[in-house]
Amino acid sequence: MYQLTRVAKRYHKGRRTVAAVQDLDLTIDDGEWLAVQGRTGHGKSTLLNLLGGLDRPTHGTVELDGTSLGALPETRLTRVRAEKIGFIFQTFNLIPTLSAAENVETALIPLGTRSAARRRRVAAALESVGLADRAGHLPAELSGGQQQRVAIARALVKDPTVVLADEPTGNLDEDTRDDIITLLERLWRDRGLTLILVTHDTTIARRAQRVGVMHNGHLTIRQDSPNR
Amino acid sequence: MFFVTYVRRELRRRMRQAICIALGLALGVGLVVTVAAASAGVTKAQLRVLRTLYGEATTVTVTGPKWQGPSRPPKGTPAPQMGPHGPEICVAGGTCTSAAGKTLSANDTLTEGISVAKVAAAARLPGVAAAAGGIFLSESTLSWPKNGASTARRGGNALGARMGGYSLEGVDTRHPTLGPLGGASLISGRLFTAADANAHVAVVDAGYARSHRLRTGAVLPIVGPADANGHTPAIRFTVIGIVRQAAGTNPPRVYVPLKAAQDLMWIKTGPASLQGKVTTIYLAAASAADVPAVTREVARLLPGTKVTSASGLANDLGRWLAVLVLIAAFAVASLLTMAAVARRAAEFGTLKALGWRTRRIIAQVLGESAAVGLAGAAAGIALGYIGAAIIAAVTPSVSATVGSDFDSGGTRLIGGSPVQTVAVPLHPSVSAGMIGLAVLLAVAGALLAGAFGSWRIARLRPADALSRVA
Repeated sequence: MYQLTRVAKRYHKGRRTVAAVQDLDLTIDDGEWLAVQGRTGHGKSTLLNLLGGLDRPTHGTVELDGTSLGALPETRLTRVRAEKIGFIFQTFNLIPTLSAAENVETALIPLGTRSAARRRRVAAALESVGLADRAGHLPAELSGGQQQRVAIARALVKDPTVVLADEPTGNLDEDTRDDIITLLERLWRDRGLTLILVTHDTTIARRAQRVGVMHNGHLTIRQDSPNR
Repeated sequence: MFFVTYVRRELRRRMRQAICIALGLALGVGLVVTVAAASAGVTKAQLRVLRTLYGEATTVTVTGPKWQGPSRPPKGTPAPQMGPHGPEICVAGGTCTSAAGKTLSANDTLTEGISVAKVAAAARLPGVAAAAGGIFLSESTLSWPKNGASTARRGGNALGARMGGYSLEGVDTRHPTLGPLGGASLISGRLFTAADANAHVAVVDAGYARSHRLRTGAVLPIVGPADANGHTPAIRFTVIGIVRQAAGTNPPRVYVPLKAAQDLMWIKTGPASLQGKVTTIYLAAASAADVPAVTREVARLLPGTKVTSASGLANDLGRWLAVLVLIAAFAVASLLTMAAVARRAAEFGTLKALGWRTRRIIAQVLGESAAVGLAGAAAGIALGYIGAAIIAAVTPSVSATVGSDFDSGGTRLIGGSPVQTVAVPLHPSVSAGMIGLAVLLAVAGALLAGAFGSWRIARLRPADALSRVA
C-alpha cells in the first residue's frame, strides 16, 4: 500500500523553481488500479518517479508498505525497486543489443536469481504476454506492440507488488493499444497487482478503478470506477 | 553468463567506436613498446660502446670542451704545401724542401684540457667512488714516397702524402680500470701499475701490435713535442703489454701513462698545452642509483664540458613522445567512452529503474572497456613489433665521438677536422616485460576511460537518466 503525505517536489530550472507536485495526499491500496491523467508538464511523470523511488520528494513522505522511500539510502531504495516495483515505459526502453528473453532477464539480475531459474521465469513471463516464440528476437525485429509486451514481461517477471506504467500505449496504434491494455488488465486481475498507470487516453483511464487528474502539481481524484 | 553476453553484444553494437578506441590505445601502446624496444637496444649498444671507450667500471665520463683554437700546427713547425715541383715541407723563414721520401709527424687533441685539480674535485663529489683523468691524443703522420710520385690516386691526400696514425690514451696508472683500458682484456705482458707513472712504457692494442709487428718488450717510437726548430723527435716507449678490445669498436691503439701523454703533446706552452691537464675524466659512481645525481653534480662542477652517463642516451630516446602519445590516446579513449556512456544514459537509467546497483552498471562499462583495452593491447604489441622491426631494418647505430681514426680519416696536419665515430648496430628487442607493460598500459588506459564514463553514470539520478529519452 502506498501512503503519500503532503508530498511536494520542486525543481530548479536556472533561477526559476518549478513545483512539479504540491501538497499531495494520497492512499493507494494493494491491488488497486489508479489511472493518472493530466496535461503535459503538470506532474504526472514526477508523481510516478516518486512512487517508483526514482526520485525523492522535496517535502513530505512517500511510504510503500510502511517504508518511507525518500528516507532510504540509495542501495536500499534500489533493492526496493528490484524486488517490488515493475516499470513500463512509453518508449519501451528495451536494450537494443539484447534479445527479448535477455531483456526480460535484466530484471532478475539484481535479485541474484540463478541462471536456470532465470531462464525458467523468463520463459514463463514471455509466455504470459504471448511472445514465447519471439524470445530470441532483438527489439528491432519486433513490432511496437511486441516490444511493449516484452517490456511488460520484464516488469512482471520478478513478481512485483506494484507496476508503474508511464503512457504504455503512447507509441502504439489503436488496435495494439487495446491489446496491451487488455493484457495489462488481465495481468493486474490475475496477479493482484497494484497498477498505477499514467495516460492521456480517457478510454484507457476509464478502465481503472480510480482516475486522478494532475493539474499544476495537484492531484484530484475524479472517478471511482465500477472496477473498484 | 549474462555479464559476458551483455559486454559482447554491446561491443558488437558499437564495433566502429570500439575499434577506434582500441586503435587509439594501440597506437600509444605500440609507440611505448617500440620506444622501449629501441631503448633496450640502445642501452645494450651504448654499454658496449661506453665499456670499450671508457672501461667497465666507468659510469660517468666528462669530456673537455671542443678545442676552439687554431687547428694548424704552431708557427715554425714544419708544414706541407704544394710547390712548383711537387709536395714540399716548409719550415720557419719560408725555407722549403722536397717532401719526397720524408715523413711528417705530429700529435694533437680535439678537446681543451681540464685541470687535474678538477679531477680531484670530481672525486670528492657525493656518490663518486673513484675518479681518474685521461688524455686522448691523435698521433698522425704524412709520408711521401721517395720518387716523389703523387699518391693521390692511391688513397693519398691532395698533397700526395699517405696519411697514417693512431689514437693514444694517457692512463692514470693509479686507476687503470677507469677509462678505455678498463674495457680491454690482456693478451700478453702486463698492465700499468702505480710505479709506471713516470715511465716511458706502453700497452698496445692487439690489432695495432699485429700490423706493426710489436711484441712485449718491443720499442715503440712515439712522436714528441716540437723542439726549438719546429722538429718533432720521437720518444721511445717500451711495450709492456698487449690488449684486445671488443670487436666492432674503435678503441685507442696505444696506452701510455698520463704524465707521458701530457709530455707528448707537441704544444708545450699556452692554452693548447696539456701540462697539468687531462682531456677526459672517468668517474665510477658508488651505485647505479647515484648515476643521475653524479651526472648532475659533475655538470655543475665543470660547466662547458660534455657529461655522458651510461643511462643518458637511452632514456631520452622518444620517451617524451611516447608519453605524449599515450596521454593523447588515453584522453581520446576517455572522451569517446564518456560520449558513449552519455548516449546510453537512458539505458543505464532503465537498468537503475529495474534495480541494478550503480556499481553493477559501472562494472558492466568497465568490462566493456577492459575488453577494448585487451584488443588495444594486442594491436599495440603488434604495432610495437612492427616498429621494432622497422628500427632494426633501418639499423641506426649508437655512436660516440672520441677523436680521429687516422687509418681512415684526415689529419690536423693538413687542417682537417678529424672526428672519430664509434658505431655499434642497434638491435631493438621486445621482451616479455614489455608485452606485460603493453597489456597493463592498454587495459589501464581503457579502464581509466571507462572509469571516467562510469563516474558520470554514478552521478546520474535514475529519473534524470530516464528523462534523457522520455
